[in-house]
Amino acid sequence: MNQQLAGYAPTPVTARMENHGHSMLKVAMATGQDLYARTGSMVAYEGFIQYEPNPPAVRQIASQWITGEGAPLMKCTGDGLLYLADYGADVVVVNLNNDSLSVNGTNVLAFDGHLTWGVERVKGLAKFAGQGLWNVCISGTGWVAITSRGTPIVVDCGRGEDETYVDPDALVAWSPNLKVKGKRSFKASSLIGRGSGEAFQMAFSGQGIVVVQPSEDSTDRLRVRH
Amino acid sequence: MAREFQRGHKAKISDLTPGTDLYVGVQIAGPGLSFDISCFGLDANEQLSDDRYFIFFNQPKSPEESIQLLGAQSGDTESFRVTLDRVPANIHKLSFTATVDGAGQMSQVGPGYIRIVAGGDEVVRYAFNGSEFSTERAVMLGDFYLKDVWRFAAVGQGFDGGLEALLKNFGGEVAEETPAAAPPQAAAPSFAPPAQAAPAPSFGAPAAPQPAPSFGTPPSAPAPAPTPQQQMHAAPTIIAPMTPPGGTVPPPPAPPAPYGQPAQPQQPQFGQQPHQPQFGQVPGQAPAPYGQQPPSPYGQQPPGMPPGGQGMPGGVPQAAGAGLQAALQPYKETATGQRWTPQNQQLMRVDLTMGGTGVLARQGSMVMYQGKVDFSYKGAGFAGRMVGNATGQEMQLMRCTGRGQVFLAEEGSHLHAIELQGDGICVSAENVLAFDESLQYEVRRIEGHGIPGGALFTMQFQGTGTVVVKTHGTPVVLPVTPTTFADCNAVVAWSSASQVIVSSQVRLRRNAYPGHSGETVNLQFRGAPGNFIVVQPYEV
Repeated sequence: MNQQLAGYAPTPVTARMENHGHSMLKVAMATGQDLYARTGSMVAYEGFIQYEPNPPAVRQIASQWITGEGAPLMKCTGDGLLYLADYGADVVVVNLNNDSLSVNGTNVLAFDGHLTWGVERVKGLAKFAGQGLWNVCISGTGWVAITSRGTPIVVDCGRGEDETYVDPDALVAWSPNLKVKGKRSFKASSLIGRGSGEAFQMAFSGQGIVVVQPSEDSTDRLRVRH
Repeated sequence: MAREFQRGHKAKISDLTPGTDLYVGVQIAGPGLSFDISCFGLDANEQLSDDRYFIFFNQPKSPEESIQLLGAQSGDTESFRVTLDRVPANIHKLSFTATVDGAGQMSQVGPGYIRIVAGGDEVVRYAFNGSEFSTERAVMLGDFYLKDVWRFAAVGQGFDGGLEALLKNFGGEVAEETPAAAPPQAAAPSFAPPAQAAPAPSFGAPAAPQPAPSFGTPPSAPAPAPTPQQQMHAAPTIIAPMTPPGGTVPPPPAPPAPYGQPAQPQQPQFGQQPHQPQFGQVPGQAPAPYGQQPPSPYGQQPPGMPPGGQGMPGGVPQAAGAGLQAALQPYKETATGQRWTPQNQQLMRVDLTMGGTGVLARQGSMVMYQGKVDFSYKGAGFAGRMVGNATGQEMQLMRCTGRGQVFLAEEGSHLHAIELQGDGICVSAENVLAFDESLQYEVRRIEGHGIPGGALFTMQFQGTGTVVVKTHGTPVVLPVTPTTFADCNAVVAWSSASQVIVSSQVRLRRNAYPGHSGETVNLQFRGAPGNFIVVQPYEV
């Protein structure tokens, strides 16, 4: 039995964050290197790791998050190996090198505690899409893991003179320096049927990238569970 | 995920992969058997008019090196590299064959396959095993053939004689008894031949805008503005003379550089290990090494890779060496200059500037678009209303017109672009994602007791254009035989020439086992050989 399962044993740690398969993230935790992860995303851990849901620091930064509920982030500290997953979504590990990335709130899986981060609201847009309402802007040098339902695609926004329009339900992440605005592209008649479909898009312009997932399922599964 | 071909399946190479630089791997083995695997470059009359295009262990490459024998690697018994756009015009077919060397017959072979790998991803696999053969001593596994465009066919046809007979069949002559035992290992050129004066295509060229991404080149949009990431690539590869980033890329003009290997101390090591080619490797990005086992975009472990943003093992922990661009490189947009381009299994890009006609797509399937594209409501029309009234769910379409690129996806389901050239296909209405407006379509209704909603609705497409079909999971494509059945909920599409009959096997079962059997209604398909059905592993 062990032989068949041996192929799934963890590979030796070589980096702070690594993929284990498509949809699991392995984080090498060490004292002093805190991690923020989505609450409820932990699937396994090895070693001594402690979790602090909704820590004061998060509460402060995320004070403008939706009233009432706490921020869906937990602070992980300790030594060991931490495995995170979000209901089988693909995990993409990004090693920021003095870059910044704005990630849709439901697509954040984990990021290094020392990164600069903040919560933003996309102006007047997200609420139409019934979205998670918030996105996290992360910058600095360190590791970030984002999730995507299906293999994502990365598009250069600064290509051509035209803007890039994205269905808000499929949006995963984008460069924060892009200009964002809302666009309504459908006539009222087309709203019958799939109301949340293509009625609104987010228009990006400028130099940077946009990451999109091949699915319009943006429900926050980790959140629903609570 | 690779497409699984059955014997007789054919597909355009361009539908499988945008690249033309392909790796063909053959695995064939049997107890006590040894095989000669070779490639015949045939002319329009299927004759081997030029001996130099018989690629085998004694002649490991064609004169212009468009076909090269690589030897055993990555689990393949034998492997080839084929650069289709450099194959001379008089070669119309590349036939890959395996012949038993010595005693034995094909029925003794174990499970084997022929596969095509492009850009590190396996795109097609045709698996076979000995039970398909009998006393044959040779088998034609698969063909690349030129019919307007290059296509691939899974042949799997046995051949009675050995290699000599095969050669004679192709009009070649055996000058001498097939020279024995020149170990293929020795003859096979490694992927990094140390001093190769001949034109070596710049594998792993920097991500310069190219009409068609060549092997190892990470897919990149034809971006006029070089992004920082491109500069990053230019740095390490500058030692190897290659096409400068930014220019349109002509076929590489004889760079002495071995396959774009950045000048690194690894080089000599490659010469010694011809069976582990790792070309196309540029630091700071993550192209899956050519000939490596199929996908898993992450989790690949090309040795010597710098620690990338992918968290690839093989490097020193940590250190900010990757950056955002490098981490996201594997997910870059692919541009091929074709109207329909699969970006990955789940995303399809349609370029409306090409072709001129609009595209009809399911409402809600657009995830992103660039450029000036108009989306308008497309009334379902009479046919659509018929579907809607009967099944309660109207097929809502939108018309995309204008100038720009539209990215389509739905619920992460797998997408397959099926190009029709005058032939017809029936697709279950709920599996249609998008199609060219130039296609004619009509709704066909299959009635039968027990089908949910009273009938199964399918859209029959005809004409010239592309239909994008979505499936949950990797589908299976079955040839239509006298006994082909499919669950009416799982069947996705079938060639329109086959005839559908609702079978009521349920009755029999119900007699045998009182109570309700799991399976409700099956569809039986009948048709001439050549017809096929597509079934998904998911019952809607």
